[in-house]
Amino acid sequence: MSILTYIAGWPLLAALALIVVPRNYRVIIRAIAVLATLISAVLAVKMFCQFIPGANGFQFEQQISWVESLGISYHVGVDGLNVGLILMGAIVAFAAALCSWEIQTREKEFYILLLVMTGGILGAFASLDLFFFYFLHELALVPTFIMIGVWGRGEKKNYATFQITLYLSIGALIALIGLIALYLQSGANTFDIPKIIEHAKTNPLAVNAQNFIFPLLLFGFGILVSLWPFHSWAPLGYGVAPSPTAMLHAGVLKKFGLYGLIRIALPLLPQAAQSWAHVIAWLCVGNILYVGWVAMRQKDLNLLIGNSSVAHMGFIFLGIASLNLIGVTGAVLIMVAHGFLAALTFALSGYIYKQTGTLQISELGGLCRKLPFIGTALLMAAMAGCGLPGFANFWGEATVFFGAWKMFPAITVIALWGALVIGGIYMTRAIRNILHGPLPEKWDLLSDASNVWRKLPYALLLVSLLVFGFVPKLLTEKINPDAQKIVTMVMSQGSTAAPAVVISAPLTSSVLADVASAKAPAAGALPETVSIGNRQLAIENK
Amino acid sequence: MKYEILPWLILFLPLLSVVVITLFTLRSKTVSSLISIGAVVASFILTVIFIHANGFPSTHGVIYTDAKSLNLANETSVNWLTIGNLSVDFGLKLDALSLMMVLIVTGVGGLIHIYSYGYMDEDHSKSRFFAFLSLFTFSMLGIVLANNFLMMFIFWELVGVSSYLLIGFWFEKPSAGDAAKKAFITNRLGDFGFLAGILTFWAMSGTVGFTGLEAWASSGISFGPITMGSGMTLAALLIFCGATGKSAQFPLHVWLPDAMEGPTPVSALIHAATMVAAGVYMLCRTLFLFNAESLHIISYIGGFTALLAALIAVQQNDIKRIIAYSTLSQLGYMVMVVGLNGPTPAMFHLTTHAFFKALLFLSAGSVIIGMHHEQNIWQMGNLRKKMPITFWTFLIGALALSGIPPFAGFYSKDSILAQCLEQKSYLLFGVAVFIAGLTAFYTFRLFFVVFSGKEKSDHAKHAHESPLVMTAPLMILAVFAAIGGFIGVWNDYGSQFIGEHNNWDPLSFTQQLFEPLKSPVAMFIGIGVALAGIFLAFSLYKNAASDPLPAKLGALATWMKNKFYFDELYEATFIRAHDFLAAVADWIDRWILEGAIIGAIRGGTDLSGRALRLAQTGNLQTYTILFVLGVVLLLYFVLGK
Repeated sequence: MSILTYIAGWPLLAALALIVVPRNYRVIIRAIAVLATLISAVLAVKMFCQFIPGANGFQFEQQISWVESLGISYHVGVDGLNVGLILMGAIVAFAAALCSWEIQTREKEFYILLLVMTGGILGAFASLDLFFFYFLHELALVPTFIMIGVWGRGEKKNYATFQITLYLSIGALIALIGLIALYLQSGANTFDIPKIIEHAKTNPLAVNAQNFIFPLLLFGFGILVSLWPFHSWAPLGYGVAPSPTAMLHAGVLKKFGLYGLIRIALPLLPQAAQSWAHVIAWLCVGNILYVGWVAMRQKDLNLLIGNSSVAHMGFIFLGIASLNLIGVTGAVLIMVAHGFLAALTFALSGYIYKQTGTLQISELGGLCRKLPFIGTALLMAAMAGCGLPGFANFWGEATVFFGAWKMFPAITVIALWGALVIGGIYMTRAIRNILHGPLPEKWDLLSDASNVWRKLPYALLLVSLLVFGFVPKLLTEKINPDAQKIVTMVMSQGSTAAPAVVISAPLTSSVLADVASAKAPAAGALPETVSIGNRQLAIENK
Repeated sequence: MKYEILPWLILFLPLLSVVVITLFTLRSKTVSSLISIGAVVASFILTVIFIHANGFPSTHGVIYTDAKSLNLANETSVNWLTIGNLSVDFGLKLDALSLMMVLIVTGVGGLIHIYSYGYMDEDHSKSRFFAFLSLFTFSMLGIVLANNFLMMFIFWELVGVSSYLLIGFWFEKPSAGDAAKKAFITNRLGDFGFLAGILTFWAMSGTVGFTGLEAWASSGISFGPITMGSGMTLAALLIFCGATGKSAQFPLHVWLPDAMEGPTPVSALIHAATMVAAGVYMLCRTLFLFNAESLHIISYIGGFTALLAALIAVQQNDIKRIIAYSTLSQLGYMVMVVGLNGPTPAMFHLTTHAFFKALLFLSAGSVIIGMHHEQNIWQMGNLRKKMPITFWTFLIGALALSGIPPFAGFYSKDSILAQCLEQKSYLLFGVAVFIAGLTAFYTFRLFFVVFSGKEKSDHAKHAHESPLVMTAPLMILAVFAAIGGFIGVWNDYGSQFIGEHNNWDPLSFTQQLFEPLKSPVAMFIGIGVALAGIFLAFSLYKNAASDPLPAKLGALATWMKNKFYFDELYEATFIRAHDFLAAVADWIDRWILEGAIIGAIRGGTDLSGRALRLAQTGNLQTYTILFVLGVVLLLYFVLGK
């Protein structure tokens, strides 16, 4: 049995076990949930360490045939694209289980749903079979709605639950149509993703079919990831969700759509991806700039974090749209980094809400004095959120900028503005109004996270952000080879991207051409990516 | 190179101190402060050892012919990450320029650390303060030692955030929180341009490494079109944006005076000696990327900033703000002379400025402590008797700042004036001379009001001298502010920038002493206006109880006092615009995207439900008719064909 089966299996097994535990054995229920997610997390760390970067094919692979007539099988495995996501998912799930102490009603049901969600999403990331990929995601998605509906907070709870259910169900449905169409059009007669991709290498899908399927996947998955303008469910939904749910959904589950785009849509629909790249890039301006502005305006901490989280999705889309090695690697990097970050911020806002009963920014102030640990963690999270180096997000955003620069210089400038200026404004404003300034008298009785168990989830997430922030190589060297494969597939099958590259670089191309020969030795004979391969070719022809 | 491990230790010792203090010793003020001081002093000693072993190696002007020689250029590095053709090293550049800066950062920084031990003695968050100081030292050393643009940018941002933390150190004061926020956002504006510039140069050259870029630039320039390219100018100016933010040049100068909300040692360390110098340092480090056009613009921005700040400084009343505006003005000087193709005078002035401006700030801090945290100079007076050591050190700092021989500032300021003449930029020379006069005037206005005349408040009557832990750093800095002009600083930078181009020999001690005589016009005019400024200040403020100037200058004084209304202007434009856009976006989000889309889906479902309900009348006759119609339709399709 593959280690992946255990990583996703333990939480599901624990969920089953919880069914038979009587509901008043609170400590045992909590212990089982924490233990199961801890085992998952430890196994995920082990898998991450054992992963060999750049090895051929998938690792820790396991395949059990199921419905042979349709070509459905239980097939799990990891490569550079999902190894980081599974690690991140397992750690976030553990942190979410630890943070669940704030849930005080119907704990048994809550922990069961939390474990199902965890197992489902980890399984979805590990799956290499379209059926399980989709099914396990739905398995994780449905508990989200229930948890928000039952344990959510605030007056807008029902409306938010209604909205998030509606949006995500529709998104999942559209993606499902796309996936079924893909299955039918590919002609490979299998749900096995590697096999479909292998098949498509020799028998690419017709361009018509691609152009029809790609938007289904883009918008289906896009809605799940809060792609502008389908984002309004996210801030509101996270605003009312209990913090463990928000942590898992914003941190982990949301990445499913992005992962699906990179894993399935890009390699199978390369030509469509190229012709849609500009659309994605412009939509992500909506995420980065527009939602950034919306975030500036928020008066509720959770809505601010939710909007900022939506804005961060824009950088990932920009990385994907750039369709080159640097951009795609950066996109995966942000997916991992943002998972830790979103979980951290929602966990912290949950703590503050638990203590104060409000997240209205105007009500708060000066909290750093009473809550030094939580306050410092929130400050660090806010800094990570506006792309401060030292945290993993910086590397993701920086590499996306480098990747997108040649394709979309104007959009990259906008993205830079969004990341550095707008992000800086709303984050420092929030810090100023929540942590700095005089402490209102009513908060004199607040207490900081005091014991190790209370501090652990925050510390764990912060350490993860810092580790990948200081040593990004841990991730990039794993992502790199497999991102390269995806990019190669996209670029080898279409020539439509070449003019886009040249058109988008009027400023630099002539300059580059002039000095290319002169600087080539000086630049140290770096390996050229496929993305600029086209251009490089043009230069040599000159 | 010998002892290649040392630079790594120098860089990481302060970081280690941050980690240890944060994780273990936050409860003990003394242990934390000693760890932090120990780290920076150790870094300083290691730097001295390293320089003793290797000298000040110069790499400037070496022509790189092939990829191999790139590795020989006094660098030590490890790969940070490589993705395709983006390769980022974590590398240290060890040449005359960076090593001298390391000396300043750890040397002057170390003195300020020691001073802080006394200054922050009563603060209950002393441990946190020293953790932040160490974080800052680490980040600043990172900027100085970085061998590539991206690494420099990373530490650039880290310096920004440590400055944010230190300005907002007394975060319970609303003004401190606001000032920290303002500094961070303003710096972010500059960083936005900086990163865009890095991306542009990377796209053109394929590398972010300084050595690679220099090789690219030097080979590219000889090929012709690249020097004239507007892309090159634009990219260079984008890079300059970064310097504008950090070195507080117009139009991003507004954060620096507000940054005085931080503790005074912070003002001395960050907002006088090191961080604000980062922009100038970066320009000198990457000067090979700047073409004539961009340098021209830079020199005028520098000159304008210098003039603007000097004018504002004349009418400020807060002891720290006066020195802050003076810092702005001196930074403008440095940027101006970089723009006049004079990296050597710029770095020379940067170094002497680090000595005397840190000295002035720390002396001001001593005054503030002696005055029980009173900062308004019109509440002081006659402190000469009460605070003799501070009086003398302040006087040395003030003389150096005003450019009176033989103090350090005289030599560096003279080199700047001489450079203006050499470049035949007479307008900027005139501006620089005028600023020199203003500088002497406002410096001695401050000096006379604070140290002579009558006590203007009770605090001034009960002022006391500071303890030795604070006055000792003052005295050491005073020595360097006095002799810094002829102890070889010029030679060091000269070897970097002038060195291997044109058979340049280091100056001997005597030559250094009389170097200004090479350009007698600049020297005599410089000394003349400085003396005039001091004399004017003396006659106006020797015994003044209030400021006589506003009556004489009228509206101009009001404008000066209100900093020419830049804060208000930015508030009305930049901030308003963003808030307005935010409001619009929020409105659209709330009412159109959320309201309309959700409304449409809900309304649509609702409507179809209502429509279908019409069919469900409950009337048996209707059902029968529909049923029959259905059968007819079915029969038609089945049988009709």
